[in-house]
Amino acid sequence: MASIEEVVPASIIGTSLARVDGPLKVSGGAMYSSDHNFPGMLYAVPVCSTIAKGTITSLDSSAAEAMPGVQAVYHRKNIGQLFRAAPPVGFSGLIDERRPPFEDDVIRYYGQYVAVVVAQTFEQAMAASAAVKVSYAGEKPDVSTTLSSDEKPKVDTTRGDADGAFASAAVKVDETYVTPVETHNPIELHASVAVWDGKGFTLYETSQAVGNHREVMAQMLGVPLENVRVISRFLGSGFGGKLWPWPHCLLAAAASRNLNRPVKLVVSRKMMFQNVGHRPLTQQRIRLGATADGMLTSLQHDSLNHTSILDDYGEGCGEATGYLYSTANLRVTSGLVRRNVGNPTAMRGPGAVPGLYALESAMDELAIKLKMDPVELRLKNEPKLDESLGIPFSSRHLKECLTVGAEKFGWSQRKAGVGAMQRDGLTLGWGVGVCSWIAARIGCEATVELKADGTARVACGTQDIGTGTYTILAQIVAEKAGIPIEKVEVVLGDTKLPAGPISGGSWVTSSVIPAVADATQKAMQTVLMAAVQGKDARFAGKKPEDLVFSGGRVQVKGGSAETSVAYAEVLRAANLGGVSGTGKSEGTFGVPPKVSQHSFGAQFVEVTWQPATARLRVNRVVTVIDAGRVLNTRAGRNQIEGAVMMGVGMAMLEHTTYDQRNGAPINSNLADYVVATHADTPQIDVTFLDYPDLSLNEYGARGIGEIGLAGIAAAITGAVYHATGVRVRELPVRIEDLLGGTARA
Amino acid sequence: MADEKQKAGSAEDSGGAAGKVTRRSFLSHLGAAGVAATASPLLAAAPAAAAMPEASEAASDAKIVGSVPVSLRVNGKVLKLQVDPRATLLDTLRESAGLTGTKKGCDHGQCGACTVHVNGRRVNSCLSFAVMHEGDEITTIEGIGQPGNLHPMQAAFVEHDGYQCGYCTSGQIMSAVALLKEPCGPTDADVKELMSGNICRCGAYPNIVAAVQQVRLRS
Repeated sequence: MASIEEVVPASIIGTSLARVDGPLKVSGGAMYSSDHNFPGMLYAVPVCSTIAKGTITSLDSSAAEAMPGVQAVYHRKNIGQLFRAAPPVGFSGLIDERRPPFEDDVIRYYGQYVAVVVAQTFEQAMAASAAVKVSYAGEKPDVSTTLSSDEKPKVDTTRGDADGAFASAAVKVDETYVTPVETHNPIELHASVAVWDGKGFTLYETSQAVGNHREVMAQMLGVPLENVRVISRFLGSGFGGKLWPWPHCLLAAAASRNLNRPVKLVVSRKMMFQNVGHRPLTQQRIRLGATADGMLTSLQHDSLNHTSILDDYGEGCGEATGYLYSTANLRVTSGLVRRNVGNPTAMRGPGAVPGLYALESAMDELAIKLKMDPVELRLKNEPKLDESLGIPFSSRHLKECLTVGAEKFGWSQRKAGVGAMQRDGLTLGWGVGVCSWIAARIGCEATVELKADGTARVACGTQDIGTGTYTILAQIVAEKAGIPIEKVEVVLGDTKLPAGPISGGSWVTSSVIPAVADATQKAMQTVLMAAVQGKDARFAGKKPEDLVFSGGRVQVKGGSAETSVAYAEVLRAANLGGVSGTGKSEGTFGVPPKVSQHSFGAQFVEVTWQPATARLRVNRVVTVIDAGRVLNTRAGRNQIEGAVMMGVGMAMLEHTTYDQRNGAPINSNLADYVVATHADTPQIDVTFLDYPDLSLNEYGARGIGEIGLAGIAAAITGAVYHATGVRVRELPVRIEDLLGGTARA
Repeated sequence: MADEKQKAGSAEDSGGAAGKVTRRSFLSHLGAAGVAATASPLLAAAPAAAAMPEASEAASDAKIVGSVPVSLRVNGKVLKLQVDPRATLLDTLRESAGLTGTKKGCDHGQCGACTVHVNGRRVNSCLSFAVMHEGDEITTIEGIGQPGNLHPMQAAFVEHDGYQCGYCTSGQIMSAVALLKEPCGPTDADVKELMSGNICRCGAYPNIVAAVQQVRLRS
């Protein structure tokens, strides 16, 4: 009876599968927030401050209001009441810029919203936004890039006597590393389409966390939670910048309520540099002490990052420092420095990415002082357990990442001296860095319905930000129920669905697995009950425990497969449209850990340097990742390659520059803030070690969205040193940095 | 009752308000409620509706102060629209014609997300006004192929995972399809150079190049 199509491979977990949402994405059918249009919809364009510090002395909107199509100009005096969100609890109530827009007349960063124009068309709103006259009493802003903290830095983790051991160390490194402001710049602009229905809101938001977004918006708009629905079906990525709501969301919603019309507000690329967060400037002093044979005796990591005038954002640069290497003496501290900038926010791999640039650069400098191979130095200082917490690692294979990576890269051919390696008239530089990222689960619920038409539907209020979440959920249901993946419909990105995890921290995959698997099992169990109940039941007279659900079919345990019945037929016989199961995962946060859960990896980089033309290229990258089991190798490899590309940008290209006179981000567009393009792509070789980490879920998956960006910048600057003799301690690498190098032509 | 009145009010407004909202653009908000590899009727609805605009309906849209008529030939159909003379081709496609597959990434011609074909050549649709394209043959991603009937380039992007978030994808594919007819050398480096006007912040570049090269080899 079983047709060929119904025969399912033993497992589709861990295979290379095309994404289930691919056909929609390649045909323009995937609906992103700003793609939503409604009858009578209006367009909102904010007015941004042209100073970074001071107060508004007057705001004249009369000319703008008289322009064609303009419906309203809102500012502090007429937008209506907007509240602050209550202090956050866990992963709810989170927003980085806590001040609602227009709360007062004080300007604290360049581009702060001072008014918003709402008009019939986008063009009308744009023109009128330029006609709003705002006068300011401006003061000199502080956007200085040299950081020093007045407050005593916070000690994040400490053990032994870091100062004493450093003082007496045989070999020392004491250097300060700087990472600049980076702007997330997802290609999808932040956007809100707000639809007020007289009582509540439906909000189409560019959100990596619809549940949190709903809570914050309900609080700030002053409406009951149940009167807010947030939808984010497809996200044009976010890289952390779209985790929490930003002030424009409030402007769109308030305008929609005031005018009783749908309102679309799309943030401009320029505003993306001002109003929706950035990775902050970090300044990190690393002190390493070691024995003459390369054993670390002391490690100190003191970091500062800038934050805004009103809000505290700590980058957490020491995130990975406490557990990465074995050393008896260690201290990690951090502090904040206020600047007239918009509030920073998490950007892909917050903390670990800038932190490991500093730490891994220092390790490279130590290896050079020790005249030791940098791979060997890392292997030598591998810890047996997480020394910061005194607990074992759940699954750590960093040594294998290094040895496998070295083998694939051809590291044994390395000649250590500066400029010692040449090929085809180019100087080669080789560098290495290790990476690590936290693994965790956050609470998740999901519903799975097995339907009488032979399909299944899985629903979860999480999001797919481009990482492959639609496909992962389909894979889990297909695997558990034993049905073809084509039969599984996945619904995400809606607060009407069971509460799902935020798309942050690389935690979605590990969090959804237990919930979706559990939901599928429960639905399957209900199918078995339906198979025995009622006189028309296909297995009337049996008990559910006599039956087994396998390969999408129900049969008697130990019975012949020929007597099996497709579950769809079981449901139809019982006149059921479908049966549902709801599953749940518990989060790991707030529970004292018994094991240290982290992913690891090694990055090997080759740069080419042409001294005569000062041409530097990242030519080749070998990355080996230990991130537990990878559920879909096609999407997984893409994640790591994409992170490597972002790492090339971080090391070589990206930095947001503020005008010291007026505090404006002056390269606030994609021609002046340069990100990596097709032409910048090196040869990238990605390997997954694929050791399942069963401490997190039954498949042993940990999550891979962020780890690939850590360590890459240090590997690149290490390679640049090897080629040129110039150690770049302030990113990005600028050609002018290299012109004074020993390898100068 | 108050709610009912407000709803009715807003519906009336829609009639008088926007030359930009049509049955098609209204449909576009229905979007994809779910995702499955096979196109369910719901999934097929949005793009199919968007891809087949009806000229008569567009023309019936209400007035925008200072708007001008323009007749665009998009994906083989004539679209008669009333647009703000300042409206870019990009905003006209997205906000007036309901063709939201073409994306806005920068509005400055710097990212390539808005790439469409005008008379067979790729252009950044954010860099020209709609009224400049009277009579031009415009092709958008919706006109290239749809689920169940994908263009070989679209199918190759799916096969090679030539995207992550999918937002730049329409522009990448429009550039890639145009590239097939452009003078381009055989190597990956040649393709990378000619595709460098299309930024993919997710960094799916190796897979995009693999997809383009596969189609070039087969054609």
